[in-house]
Amino acid sequence: MHLLADSMVMGQVTLAHYLLLSAGLFAIGMIGFLTRRNLIIMFLCTEMMFQAAGLALIAFSRYHMNHTGEVFVIFVLTIAAAEAALALALVVLCFKRRESLDASAWSELRG
Amino acid sequence: MLQALIVIPLLSALAIAFAPKANARVIATMSSVICLAVGVLMAWQFRWGDSGEMQFGWSMDVLPELGISMSLGVDSIALWLIELTLLLAPICVIGSFSAIKDNQKTYYAWLTALQAALIGVFAARDLAFFYVSFEFTLIPMWVLIHLFGSTNRKKAATKFFLFTFTGSVIALAGLVYVAWFNAGMMGGWSFDIAELQQAARRMNGTQQGWVLLAMMAGFAVKVPLFPVHTWLPLAHTEAPTAGSVVLAGVLLKLGTYAIFRFVLAFVPDAVVAYAVPIAVLAIIGIIYTGLICWVQRDVKKLVAYSSVSHLGFCVLGLFAINSVGVSGSVMYMINHGLSTGALFLCIGMMYERYHTRSMDEVGGLANKMPVWAFFMVFFTLASVGLPGLNGFVSEFLCLLGTFQSGAGSMGVGGTVGSLGPWFAAVAGTGMVIAAIYLLYMVGKIVFGELREPADYHVHETLPIDLNGREIGVLVPLAIGCVVLGVLPTPVLRTIEQPVNQLVQTLEDAHDHMLVRGGEDGVVVVAVWDESEGDVE
Amino acid sequence: MFESMPALLGAGSADVLPTTVGPGWLWLVPILALAGCVACGLCLAMRVRTKAPAWIVVGLLGIAFVLTFMGYSGWDSASAQVVKVFEWIGLSWGDSAGQSLSFNFGFYMDGLSWLWMLFVTGLGTLIALYASEYMQGDKGYARFFAGFALFVFSMACLVMADNLVLLYLGWEGVGLCSYLLIGYFYKKPSAVAAAKKAFIVNRIGDLGLALGLFLTFVTFGTVQYDELFALIDQGVAGDMARTPLSEMWQTWAIPLLLMVGAFGKSAQLPLYVWLPDAMEGPTPVSALIHAATMVTAGVYLVARFFPLFAFEGVPHYALWTVGWVGALTALFSSTIAMAQFDIKRIMAYSTISQLGYMFAGLGVLSTVGAASHVFTHAFFKALLFLACGAVMHGFAGQLDLRKLSGLWSVPGWRIVCVTMLIGCMNLAGVPLITAGYWSKDMIMAEAFVTPGGQIIGWILLLTAGLTAYYTFRVFFRVFVGPVSFEPGDEHHDDEHGHDNGHGGGGGFHPHAPGWAVNTVLAVLALSSFAAIGLYFTDKPNGGFVGNLVGDSTAGYVTPYGHHGADDGHDDAHAAAEGDVRFVLVADPPAHASGDATGGDHGADGTPDAAHASSGGLILGMDPHKAMYYISAVVGLIGILIAAVLHGPLGMGGLGLGTRTEAARSKADELLPALGPVARWAQHKWYVDEFYDFLLRTPLRVLSHVFHAIDKLLVDGLVNGLGLLPRAMGSALRPSQSGVLQGYAAGMAGGLVLLLVIVLIFM
Repeated sequence: MHLLADSMVMGQVTLAHYLLLSAGLFAIGMIGFLTRRNLIIMFLCTEMMFQAAGLALIAFSRYHMNHTGEVFVIFVLTIAAAEAALALALVVLCFKRRESLDASAWSELRG
Repeated sequence: MLQALIVIPLLSALAIAFAPKANARVIATMSSVICLAVGVLMAWQFRWGDSGEMQFGWSMDVLPELGISMSLGVDSIALWLIELTLLLAPICVIGSFSAIKDNQKTYYAWLTALQAALIGVFAARDLAFFYVSFEFTLIPMWVLIHLFGSTNRKKAATKFFLFTFTGSVIALAGLVYVAWFNAGMMGGWSFDIAELQQAARRMNGTQQGWVLLAMMAGFAVKVPLFPVHTWLPLAHTEAPTAGSVVLAGVLLKLGTYAIFRFVLAFVPDAVVAYAVPIAVLAIIGIIYTGLICWVQRDVKKLVAYSSVSHLGFCVLGLFAINSVGVSGSVMYMINHGLSTGALFLCIGMMYERYHTRSMDEVGGLANKMPVWAFFMVFFTLASVGLPGLNGFVSEFLCLLGTFQSGAGSMGVGGTVGSLGPWFAAVAGTGMVIAAIYLLYMVGKIVFGELREPADYHVHETLPIDLNGREIGVLVPLAIGCVVLGVLPTPVLRTIEQPVNQLVQTLEDAHDHMLVRGGEDGVVVVAVWDESEGDVE
Repeated sequence: MFESMPALLGAGSADVLPTTVGPGWLWLVPILALAGCVACGLCLAMRVRTKAPAWIVVGLLGIAFVLTFMGYSGWDSASAQVVKVFEWIGLSWGDSAGQSLSFNFGFYMDGLSWLWMLFVTGLGTLIALYASEYMQGDKGYARFFAGFALFVFSMACLVMADNLVLLYLGWEGVGLCSYLLIGYFYKKPSAVAAAKKAFIVNRIGDLGLALGLFLTFVTFGTVQYDELFALIDQGVAGDMARTPLSEMWQTWAIPLLLMVGAFGKSAQLPLYVWLPDAMEGPTPVSALIHAATMVTAGVYLVARFFPLFAFEGVPHYALWTVGWVGALTALFSSTIAMAQFDIKRIMAYSTISQLGYMFAGLGVLSTVGAASHVFTHAFFKALLFLACGAVMHGFAGQLDLRKLSGLWSVPGWRIVCVTMLIGCMNLAGVPLITAGYWSKDMIMAEAFVTPGGQIIGWILLLTAGLTAYYTFRVFFRVFVGPVSFEPGDEHHDDEHGHDNGHGGGGGFHPHAPGWAVNTVLAVLALSSFAAIGLYFTDKPNGGFVGNLVGDSTAGYVTPYGHHGADDGHDDAHAAAEGDVRFVLVADPPAHASGDATGGDHGADGTPDAAHASSGGLILGMDPHKAMYYISAVVGLIGILIAAVLHGPLGMGGLGLGTRTEAARSKADELLPALGPVARWAQHKWYVDEFYDFLLRTPLRVLSHVFHAIDKLLVDGLVNGLGLLPRAMGSALRPSQSGVLQGYAAGMAGGLVLLLVIVLIFM
C-alpha cells in the first residue's frame, strides 16, 4: 500500500493505479451481476468483469515490459466478441421460451 | 501370439459394431474359433519343460517415463486359464444364438471384447496393463447384464459394477504402493510384475500386511469370498446365460488368479500371517453359502451360491501354502469353469423353454427332456465332486493340501503351513452339504413328476429337448470334465514347476516367520477387523 | 510298549504277502463293465427298444467273471499281485519321501480282492440275467443296464484298487450307481427322496473315509497298499526317523475314521437309515447292490485295513466300536424287521442285521468269519431278494405279507417257493445243511472265545433267534397257507398288459416268472449249498474263504483270529471271565504270542482240553462246539415260534398255527400284550423322525436363518454402504438452488474467502 501512497504523492500514474481501477471495475461488474435480474444487464456486467481483468493484464504487460499480457487480452477480446454474439443469441432464445428476461425464471438446475 | 489373442477379438468387436446385424454372430463365432485355434497352436508351441518361465513374451512401451508397458507372457498356469477362456468363448457365443434376439450387434461386440480383456488379465506381465484389463472386464459385463439380463438386471449390473470396482480400487492402492516402494528403492518407476515381485518381498511385515489387506479387499470381492459375495447371486441370476457362463467360468477366476499371482507371490510373509483368518473366511463361506443354496427356489441362484461355496475350497487350497493345495486350487479354477459354466448353460437352456428358473414352477424335466436331464445330472455330479470327474481331483487336492498344511509334525506327508486337519475336516462337511443342495436341485427339477408353468407352450424355434447346437455346446465341456477327471496328471505335471517355485518362497517365509516369532504377524493381524469394513 | 514290538512283528510279518506283478490284462475286468455301461449309453442314445442292452451286459459281465476266475486260478496265493495301469493323480514337490503323491489306477490282488471279485462279477452276471427278464418292457431298460454295468465297474475299482484313492473312486462310484438306480423310477417322489437320502448319508461316511485317507497319507506318505502295508508290517510311519506306529495316535485314529466310511456304506448304526429306503429301486438292484455286494464294501474296507485296526500296542477303539456297533445294529434292525409287513423291507432290515454280524465278526477279530458270512450272505440274500422280486413282479408290485398267502399252491410258483425256502433257511441258520448256519456260527463262536466279546456273542445269539423268527414269518405267511392274494397297484406298461385290463381282485392273474428268473434262482439256491462245500474244502487250513483271507492283508493278525490250542488263549479267557471289558482295548499284547498257524475253528479236533481249563466255556464245552448246538437250537426255536404264530393250519402234518386267512395271524392276538412297543418297532423306532428332528430340521432352519442373514445383514451392510453417498448427496442438495445469482454469489463468496485467506496468511 505504501507504494500506492508514494506514487500518489509524486503525482505519477503507476501500476497500482491501474490495478485499483481494474479492481473497481471488477467489483462494480460483480455487484451488478449479483444484484440485477435482467439477463442482458447481467451479461453486460460480465463484460465489465472481463474488461477489468483485461486492464490488469495490460497493466502487468506494461510493467514487465513484455507482450504476454497484451497477447492474452487480444485473445480475450476476440473470444469475448464471439461469446457476446453467442450469449446474446442465447438470451434471445431464452426470452422466446419464457417471455421474460428475468434470470430467476430459469432454475432447472435446482438440486 | 498372445497379442493376436487380444487384437483379434478387439478387431472383431469393432467389425461387429460396423457390420450389418445379420453378420454379428457369424463374426463373433469366427473370431472365437480362430482364437481357439491360436490357443491350440500356443499349447503346441509352449515349452512345457520350462513351464515356470514366461513364454510368448511380447512388449510395447506405453509410458516409458513411468515404466508402464504393454508386456505379455504366460507361464503354464496362465496358459491353462487362457485355454479355458478360449474354450468357453465359442461356447458362449454359440450358446447364445437362440437366446439373444434384439441388439445382437451390441451383445456380440461386447461379448467378444470381454474375451480380449480376459486374455489380457491372464497374459499381462505388466502390473498397469494387468489392472487395466482387470477393470476393463467390468464394462462389457456391465453392458451384458444391464441390457440383456432379466427383470432386475439394472440393479444387478450396477451393484456388480460398483461392488467389484470399489474393491479393485483398494487393490489398486496396494499394487501402486508396491510400485512406489519399488520406485523408491530402485530410483525409477517400473510396473514389471517380476521386478515388483522381488521388491515387494523385501517389504517388512507391516507393509506386507497392509498390501495384503488392500489386495485381498479387491480380489476377495472378485472371487468372491464371504462376506463380500452378495453381488454374485444377484449378478448371476440376472445375467444372460453367456454372461453367467463367463462370470462363473472365467471372471471369478480372475480373483483367485490374482490372489495366486499377486498376493501369494508378492507378500509371502503376510500370507503366512494371514492364512488362518482368510482360511476361516473361506470355510465359513463354504458352509454358510452351501446351506443357503439348500433353501433357494431359483435354480440359477442356487448354482450361483454354490460357486461361492466352491471357490471357498479354491481359496482354502491357496492358503494351505503347499504344493498339493495350490495345485489343487489351480485345477479348481479350471474345473469349476468347466462344470459350473456347463450348469449355467443347462439352466439357460431350460430357461429359454420355460421362461422360469423357479423350482416351484418346473420339475421332473427328465420325463420330457432326457438328453438335457442327462447333461444336467452329469454336470451336477461333476460339481458334487464325484471321483472320475474333474471336480473331485481339485476338491480332493485342496482338502488334502489343507489337511497337510501345518501337519508337518504329524508325519512325513505333512508340510509347513498354518491350517491343518481340523480345517480340512470342517471344510470337508462342505462336500456333504454340496451333495445335499445339488441333489436337492436335481431331485426337484430333473426328477419327480413333470411340472410345467401354466402358460407353457413349445418354443417357436427350439425343439422340446435339446437340439444339435445345444448338445454340441455341452459335449466339449462334458469331455473336458471326463478327461480332467481321469487324466489330471498331465495338467498337474505342467503346473508343478511354477507352483513349486511359489510354494518354496512361501515355505521360506513360513520358516522365517517362525524364527522371528511372528512379531510382524501380530501387528497385521490386529488391523484385520478394521479393514474389513473397507472391503464393502 | 515298543520293547515288545519285535516279537510281535516277527509273528505278523510272516503274513504280509510279497508282491508280484500280476497279469496285465486284469484291467479288462473293470473295463469290460465300463464298456457295458458305454454300450448301454449308446443303446439309450439310439433308442434301442430290444433286449440288446441286457445281453450286452450279461455277456460282458460273464466274460469279466471268466477273466476273474482265470486270474484267480493263475494266482499263486503266496503273493499279492500288483498291476499298474496308469497314473491317475500325480504330483511332486520335492525328491524326498513324502514329497510326492502318486495315485495310480492300479490293482492289488490278494485273497480278499479275489474273494470279493469272484462273487461281485459272478453275482453281477446272474442278477443281470435275472434283470433281463425282470426289467423287460420298462422304458428305462438301457438306462438300467448302464447303471448296472457302471456299478460293477465301480465295485471292481473299489475292490481291486491298489490305493485308497482309487478305492475312494469306487466307493463314491458305487454310491453314485446306488443313487441312480434307487432313483431309477424317477417319477416316484419317494424313489427320488430315497436316492437322495442314500447318497447324502453315504457322503457323511465318505467324509470320514476321506479324512482317514488324508491322515493315512500324512502319516505314511503314501496310500498305496503295497508300500502302506509294508510299513505297517514293520510297525513304522513313513518318515525318515521311522517313528514306531505304537507311539503315534494316528495308529488308532486312522481306523476310527475309516470305520465311519464303512458304517456309511455298510448301513450300520447310526448311518443305516438309507438302506431300507433304498428298496425303492428295482429289485435286482436291491439284490446286487443293497444286499450282496456294495453294502459289504465296509466289511471289505475294515478287513483290508485290519493290520491297522488290530495293531498291537495301541488302543483298539475302532475295533471295539466296530464289534459293538455291529452287534447292536444286528439286534436293533432285527427288532424292526420283526414288525414290518413289506417283505422287501424285511429283507432290507435283515441285510442290515447280517451286516451287523459281519462287523461284529470283524470286531471280535474273526476276519475269516466276517468274510465267510459276506460270501454266503451274498448268495442267499441275493436269492431272497430275487425271490421277493419275482413275487413283486408277478403280483403287480404287491409286497405286503398280509395280502399274499399260499403261493406254494399257485401254479408256476413252485421254483420261487423252493428257492425262497432255501434262502430263508440260510438266513435263519437252519443247522448243518445251510451255509448261513456255518458262517454265522463262526462269528458267534469267535465272539465267545475272544476276550471281552461275550456280551457281543449273547447279543448275536439272541439276534439269531429273532432272525429265524422274522425270516420264517415271511415264509409262512406268503408262501404257504391258504391261497389268497391281492395285486399291488403297479402296472407294467409292457406286453404283460393283459393284467391291467382286469383291474384288482378276482380278475387278477399273477404271471409266473419266466425261465431267466427261475434259472437264476435255481443257480443261486445251488450256489448257497455249494458254499457249504467251499466251507469244508481244505478245512484244516481254514476252508476256501479262510485260505483267501489268510492270504491277504486281513490275514495279518491271524494270531488273534485263529484260535488254536495254546496257553495264550487260556490267559485271555481267564482274563475275560471276571469282567467283560474288551480286552482288546485294555490289554492287546496279552495274547500276542498266539500262533499263526490257526484257521481252525474247532470243527475238527481242537482239543477240548485247551479250553476246558479256561473260563471261556459254554455248558462246559469248547465254545466252538457248543455254539453248533446252541445256535442250532436257537434258530429252530425261532422258526418254531414263527410257525406257531404265523404258520398255516396243518402244514406238513405238524398242525402248527391257526392261520386261515392272509391278513391275520395268531401273532395279532399277542400284540396288545406288547403294548406300544410293537407299534414303535413297526415305525422303525422313529429313528427317521428322530434324525429329522435332530439334524435335518435344525439344519434346514439354520439354512433359512443364514439366507435371511445373507439378505438382510451381509447384503444389507453392502447396500447400506451404498446408501452413504446418496445420503451425503441429499444433505448437500439444498445448496444447489438453481438460481443463477445463487451460484454467482457462491463464486463471489469463494473469491472473497480466497482473498481474505491470502491477505491474512500471506
